[in-house]
Amino acid sequence: MLSEAFLQSLRTLRLNAPRRRVGSLTGERRSVKRGRSVEFADYRNYTPGDDPRRVDWNVYARLERPYIKLFEDEEDLTTHILLDDSPSMFWQPDEEADGQHLAQKWLCAAQLAVVLGYVALASGDKVVLETSSFQRFGPKRGVASAAALIAFVERVSATDKRDLRAALTGRQQPLNAWLRRYALDARPGLCILISDMLDEGGYTEGFNALGNSRLDVNLLHTLSADELDPQFTGDLRLKDVETANPQDMSLDDAVLSQYRQRLAAWSEEIATSVRRRGGRYHLTDTSLPLEQIVLKDLRREEWLI
Amino acid sequence: MDLLNPLAFLFALLAVPIILLYLLRLQRREQTVSSTLLWRQVTMEREANTLWQRLRRNLLLILQLVTLAFLIFALVRPYVNMPSAVSGRSIVLLDASASMQATDVAPSRFEAARARVRDAINSLGANDQMTLIVVDGAPRALSALTSDKSQLLDALDSARPSLDAANWSAAIALAVATGAGDEDTTTLVVSDGAHADDLGLLPGKARFIPIGNSGDNVAISALTLRRTLRGLSAFVRVTNSGSQDDRALVSLRADGALVDARALDVPAGASAEWTIGNLSPNVVAVDARIDEAQLNFLAVDDAAYAVNPVNTTRHALLLTRGNRFLEQALASLPGLRVTRAVTALLGAQNYDLYVLDNMTATLPARANALLIGAQSVFTTSGVFSNTDYVRTEPHPIARNVDWRGVSVLDARRVNAPGWLRPVIESQGGPLVLAGESTEDDLQRVVLIPFELRRSDLPLQIAFPILIANSVEWLAPAQGLNVPLNVKPGEVVPMPENTRVTLPSGEEVVSERRGFAQTNQPGIYTFDTGRAQGAFAVNFTNVSESRIAPNPNLQVGSTGTNAEQTTPLPTSQREFWHAMAAIALILLLVEWWVYQRGLPAWTRRA
Repeated sequence: MLSEAFLQSLRTLRLNAPRRRVGSLTGERRSVKRGRSVEFADYRNYTPGDDPRRVDWNVYARLERPYIKLFEDEEDLTTHILLDDSPSMFWQPDEEADGQHLAQKWLCAAQLAVVLGYVALASGDKVVLETSSFQRFGPKRGVASAAALIAFVERVSATDKRDLRAALTGRQQPLNAWLRRYALDARPGLCILISDMLDEGGYTEGFNALGNSRLDVNLLHTLSADELDPQFTGDLRLKDVETANPQDMSLDDAVLSQYRQRLAAWSEEIATSVRRRGGRYHLTDTSLPLEQIVLKDLRREEWLI
Repeated sequence: MDLLNPLAFLFALLAVPIILLYLLRLQRREQTVSSTLLWRQVTMEREANTLWQRLRRNLLLILQLVTLAFLIFALVRPYVNMPSAVSGRSIVLLDASASMQATDVAPSRFEAARARVRDAINSLGANDQMTLIVVDGAPRALSALTSDKSQLLDALDSARPSLDAANWSAAIALAVATGAGDEDTTTLVVSDGAHADDLGLLPGKARFIPIGNSGDNVAISALTLRRTLRGLSAFVRVTNSGSQDDRALVSLRADGALVDARALDVPAGASAEWTIGNLSPNVVAVDARIDEAQLNFLAVDDAAYAVNPVNTTRHALLLTRGNRFLEQALASLPGLRVTRAVTALLGAQNYDLYVLDNMTATLPARANALLIGAQSVFTTSGVFSNTDYVRTEPHPIARNVDWRGVSVLDARRVNAPGWLRPVIESQGGPLVLAGESTEDDLQRVVLIPFELRRSDLPLQIAFPILIANSVEWLAPAQGLNVPLNVKPGEVVPMPENTRVTLPSGEEVVSERRGFAQTNQPGIYTFDTGRAQGAFAVNFTNVSESRIAPNPNLQVGSTGTNAEQTTPLPTSQREFWHAMAAIALILLLVEWWVYQRGLPAWTRRA
């Protein structure tokens, strides 16, 4: 799925968590819980029961009152990667749909999930990866789990999501329901959602649920080139791969340009919604090479540091 | 703009089946997309005009509908009111007289008039009718009363200027027969107004479109040849009908060779004359030309032609037992060689004239004969002696013949055929008959049904005149009955199969008796097989040479000058033809697009 050389180049990167969240283990990230760390945070009065070793004797000598020195407690971060594997993520235009190749859109999203998961594992964070069909990986930590992560994503890819009936009758959930359910028992941490956001029910409820569970929502909005700039014209009956709802359209340049305007407005709405919750938003054209997305775009926008 | 047939807009309903057929034909391709979420939103935004979107997509449908629109637009017959010289029913009198060939208006008056008539035809409305009468020596309608513009334009293009004077009284009669004088009929006179005073008699509404702006013209008004004691002399008269003095360079040619040239000062409204003597008596024909003149707008009268009157010898056969009076009378005639005989040696030689003096003989076919007394050509039925003179019919042989003193003892009653008409009649019957056979041969006969010895005619002054007239009529100087000088268009009597050389050098064989291709002024030579000769066709028409236009001519009692009246009446100018043409072009484009497939911008990129 990813070349060894590319993975090597990722070793030096770390996920940039915009806000500090409390972790369960001491890791390499600063937490809001003050604790045993090297960086001084504050003083407070000694109260019986405190560890006498933490009394700052220099201050006691000066003031003759015991003060406890507080340090910023550094801890690990749980990185939640939410990978949308709804049928729309597996969609590809007719001429590419030969049944042999995975859709470029899904491939890009899956690779991004692996990359982010790998970076998180490599920097010692805990990683949980869940798909919208409720397949879960983790929580795991350490680079040793990287192979398992890649195997998991490949297993998800192999499930044929393009079979419409399976999608309709299967465990496929709307985006909101999936995010709400996930937020119920998720530990606070960095949450990265990789999705095309093409869901009839919208996304607001899900975002709210994640926010309430102290999960930062960072959205990698993956859209294929054919969604960003459709090339088909004429009198068409458009069929939704998820709902099978037909939509009759007579497409010409005017309609297409209107579609592009609509898409830009929609993506702007989502971005605003994400940023209001303190998260990041990046619209990804899945036809771009993965190296460019990861090493250029995501670094420029400081997803990776 | 207005419509003549607004009901035709109902044809717009045809658009409904066209669109329905199109919508029924519309088959959508299925295209799977990741989500119709955004497309639905786009559709909602465009909901108001989805149908229009569909229609916009299809070039063929648009072309069909636009074609239909243009067809309907043609069917409703839109028109605009345009000012026009004519409206309703109009009769156009187009002057084609010789003066219309003047070039004071470029390219010529006639072409300018033609252009004005063409404008009038083009401005005809849908319900307007027009007839076109061309006015020359014999006015005739070139087209019936019609609203068909193309027919009128074709008729107009066939009109030619003539060399005649315009016969306006005949043209008015023709116009009246066509409907001039009716309340809704306008007569439009397109003319230079020269010599058109008859137009005051035109009934009904009339409009006059004057053509021409200058009357300056110099013409050769006379050219004659006379034999004198010293040979042949030519007389030329040059007339200036303009308003300014002019100087004309005139040249005279004999048989094509220049004899003399002279510059003549011709005062305005006057003539200059020039006599050239000592021409060779053997000259066949001469022509005089104005080679240069300052103010000369009519070319057709700048040349004149004349044929030398005596250039042939006529042979006469006189069958007589002896008649001094008759022999003397014949011998005194110039250019006539008389052979006297007792019997006719038929076939030995053809004579131009046979004179039978109380003799019987079988004449050859086509023989011109003077029959006196008893003869064998026509049967007789008795004798009458009541020979008191009654009257003389107008005939060339009776010119200047005074029969009142002539006494005739008795005369035979001849069973003459119908073509032999009495010329001099007495109470008992005709005393001189003359006529031209109407059978296939051109034969002239003069019959005097009494013996000269039984009358005092040979002693009267009438006798030599009658004989001279008869010989001149029976055997003219040309050896035939061909005049020396004819007007353009006049029919020249000729036997069949005569070879005629036109002034252009072209040779024509006349198939009928009479030669009518005399429209070209110049010298014509002919050869009948028996005789050769020449005649001249001359445009010498003093009145037509006066080309001064008369723009203020009063045409009819209610006539108005079209140039001075405002406002012009309006006529409905239709333009459905253009609409139909555009529809046809669109139909071809539609077919071409269909054959070729839709253009690239309508297909999937």
